[in-house]
Formats: sequence, C-alpha cells, structure tokens
Amino acid sequence: MIEVTGLTKVYGRTRAVEDLSFTVRPGQVTGFLGPNGAGKSTTMRMIVALDRPTAGRATVGGRPYRDHRAPLRAAGALLDARAAHPGRTARDHLVALGHTHGIPAARADALLDEVGLAAAARRRAGGYSLGMRQRLGVAGALLGDPAVVLFDEPVNGLDPDGVLWMRTLLKRLAAQGRTVLVSSHLMSEMAVTADHLLVIDRGRLLADTSLDALIDRVGVDRVFVRGPRTDALRDLFRAHGAAVADDGAGLLVTGLDVDAIGSAATGQGLVLHELTPRRASLEQAYMELTRTGERA
Amino acid sequence: MTGLTLHGVVRAEWTKLLSLRSTRVVFAATAVLTVVFAGFIGWNQARSGDAPTVAGAFLPIDLFSLVLGVFGVLTMTGEFSSGLARATFAAVPARLPVLGAKVVALAAVTLPVLAVTCVAALLANQAFAHGDRITLGDAGVLRATAGAAAAPLAMGLVGLAVGTLLRHTALAITVFVAALLVLPAILPATLPDHVAGDVLRFVPVAAGQALYATGPDGGPFDLLAPGAAALVLAGWVALLLAAAGIALGRRDV
Repeated sequence: MIEVTGLTKVYGRTRAVEDLSFTVRPGQVTGFLGPNGAGKSTTMRMIVALDRPTAGRATVGGRPYRDHRAPLRAAGALLDARAAHPGRTARDHLVALGHTHGIPAARADALLDEVGLAAAARRRAGGYSLGMRQRLGVAGALLGDPAVVLFDEPVNGLDPDGVLWMRTLLKRLAAQGRTVLVSSHLMSEMAVTADHLLVIDRGRLLADTSLDALIDRVGVDRVFVRGPRTDALRDLFRAHGAAVADDGAGLLVTGLDVDAIGSAATGQGLVLHELTPRRASLEQAYMELTRTGERA
Repeated sequence: MTGLTLHGVVRAEWTKLLSLRSTRVVFAATAVLTVVFAGFIGWNQARSGDAPTVAGAFLPIDLFSLVLGVFGVLTMTGEFSSGLARATFAAVPARLPVLGAKVVALAAVTLPVLAVTCVAALLANQAFAHGDRITLGDAGVLRATAGAAAAPLAMGLVGLAVGTLLRHTALAITVFVAALLVLPAILPATLPDHVAGDVLRFVPVAAGQALYATGPDGGPFDLLAPGAAALVLAGWVALLLAAAGIALGRRDV
C-alpha cells in the first residue's frame, strides 16, 4: 500500500508535483500515466525518500519510507536504467546492495537467474545493453522481496521479448499480493498491463480510476455505420440529436448507441451494411482528459 | 534478512570498493611508483654524497596523497555519475551511514597498503645509503613513517568530502586540486611575508607533510609540530566531512 497525501514538489518556479493525493492498493497493477515531465518520476522518488517533498507526505506500508527498519523489504524501486556502476559486475552490484540489509549472496544469484542475467552475472555492467540494465534494475528492485514495487518506465529500451517478459512480471508481482505502481507515458502499454490508473499531467491528478471507468467517463464512444444511402442516414441521425462525421468509408456517429441507430434506420426503411461500436481507446480517453484538464 | 544495519552498510561499501578493478590497479600502481621513486631518490642522494634523510624517503608520498584525494572524490561522484546513488540511497534512506561507511571502508582498504608502502619506501630509499642508514628504530622515524601512512588517507577523506559536496566528477577533482594544491602556491604572494608562513602551515597539505617531517625541511616556512599538525589535519577532515554529511542529508539524490 502506498498512500500519498497533498504531495507537492517545487523546483524554483516550477511546480513539478502539485497537491497530489492517491492510494495505491496491493494485488493489482496500478498504472501511473502521464506525458513526459508530468511529475511521475518526481513522485516516485519522493515515495522512496530520494527527493524531499516541498509539502505533503508519502507513506509505504503505513509509514514514511525512511522510517522502515528494512527499507528494501518495504519497497523496491526501478527508477532509471542507470543504477549500477559500469565498472562493477552485476553480481557484485547486487551482493553489495544486499549487504546493507544482510541479504545473502544466494538471493542475488537467484534473482539474476530470474531476470535472465545469469550468464552475464560476472560481466561488468558497463558493457550491458539498455535492456540488460533494465533487467539488472529489476533484480535490484526485487532484492529485498518488497511488499511495494515502483517501476518507472520499465519497458523503455526493451525488445519485444523483454516487453512481454515485463508485462508478465508486473502481473505476477501483483498476483503475489504486492503493491505495484508502474509509470508510463505510453497509453497502449498501460492498456494491456494496468488494472487501475492514476493519470497525471503537469503535476496534478486528472483521474484515479479503473481502466474501463476512465473510458466510460470520458464518453467518446462512437459507432461506425455504413449503408447505401449515406446522406439519408446522416440526416436521420442528426435528427435524433447525434453528432455525425463522415470518414470516407462510412459515418462515425456519436451520441446514439447501436440499438438506437438500428431501430431508427429500420423505422425509415434504410438499409445498413455495417453497424460497429467503436470503443474509445485509452489513448482517446487520455487525450480527452488532458485536453479538458478535468479533475477526477 | 536482518534489516538495515550499520555493519551491513560498511560491508556494502567495502565490497563496492574491492569489486572495482580500478581500485586494485590504482593502489598497486601508486604503491609501486612511490617505492620506486623513494629508491631513486636514495640512489641519487648517495651518488651525490648527501646524507640520507627521512624527508627524501617520503617525498614521493605526495604522489600517493594526490591519487588518494582523486580516488576519494570518485568514491562518491562515481555514485552520482553512474546513477548508482539512487540504488544506494534507496537502500539506506538515512544517507549519513553511507558517508560514514565510505570513510571506514576507505581507511580499512588504504591504511594497510599505505603502511606497507611507507616502510618499503624507507627501505628502498636507504638501500643505497653508505654507512649509517636511517632505521625505524631511530628517534622520530617510526612516528614519521606512521605520519607518512596517515597523510594520504587524510587527503582521500578530504576528496570524499569534496566529492560529496559537489557530486560532479570533473568539477570536484578540479576544485580538489585547485583548493588543496594550487591555492597554497598562490596564497603566499597575496599575503605579507610575516603572515604568509603562519597561514600556510595550517593548510591541509602542509599539515599533512608535517606529519612525516623530522625537523626543519628547508622550506620557506616552518611546518607545525607533528602533534599539532595531526590535530589541524583531523580538524580539516572533520569539518569538511561534516559539511558533506549535512549537504548529503538535505539535498535530493
């Protein structure tokens, strides 16, 4: 469980994070969505006490991160692909990090195996690809078997296999009952991994909602309609108060659902060749949110 | 897993230090160079008929001081330049124990190397002397040898403090060299003659050199007595590390 209350971070005149309050619950993947520079990384850094909030507070498992007797057990964070010294081997890096908490070297070896770095464990991290560094960062984040996991843009630099691996990992960590907060500026990525969404822009929370609720709430669902008498259909739907756009192949109708469109067309004896609901993508929902700056 | 302990943090820093190949290479190369230079100095003194001096044997220690100072800087700036700092300080959110552990680890790794290097430097230097050689049993020689081993560590700790305060490698090394090595060379020209010596003997490098001097070295000003020099040097190290600790605790990583 992560609880953030009134969290604010001001750099000079820039208000990077503004009065942010939310709760991240265990057992599900919570997506932290926002454009680059929205304040996602800053918020994550404040949660694990790397940055000091200007105002407000963040707790992990009920208390501030720095007050935990075993911080690595409370939360593990992957904040940047660059988190190891280039001159040190992956194994030495993890073993040294583990020493702080009395974590045995065997745990480092097991994790290196789990993230697929066993063969490269005794090579220096400076020669690693970006994807390998991400994997090493994941191993570092999981070192203390943490109850809370924070991953900042974890699929950056991963190849397709790596992306799939990361999605599976996130879901598995959540299924194990951990609290999983994963940030991304990629809406498509969130759509396939996240159960719950926190949307922020310019440091402010825009939405704290489930994936489906967000799409519903923004309400940009449309129906694609195609028939031989396009003009007649357009006039009919407009007469029913719908907004109609012509995309060349057919009509995109907003404001009437499939049932209403079908009944209206039949009532007028108009033939339909296609009647397809087009659910708003998360991307559209997100664009709608950030455009209106609407608050949750 | 036992949770976060100070002992664990020291062990982590010790492992970090020893697991870098550069640590082993730098220490071995510097130790060998120091001893070789001490030998050449002894050979040259014997060749020109001069009596052997402790000051001559320990002259190359300046090299070790410079190298350890830069090494101390890198011990902390390397964390920030590589991004490792985020992992380090997420594991130890209190932060100050990391600085303390780096001090302990640096001392534990360097002191044995320095002790061996200083004794070897003295032996290599005296190997060429005709007749009566300086030995560790002579008055003040053991103390000077211990001082020669301690002075570079003090520079290493000053470097660690500067690196912690400035974080950026190139900037920190420049400031370290400029403030500790170049400034004392410029300073005398800006001061009245009768004041210059009183100021200069208190700068860290002069206090460090006073630790392994065995009497007037013929320099432009008199060094502090070894005991006073040790206090002055310890004061510098403590002051700078305290400032570094405060900055480390307050600033964002």
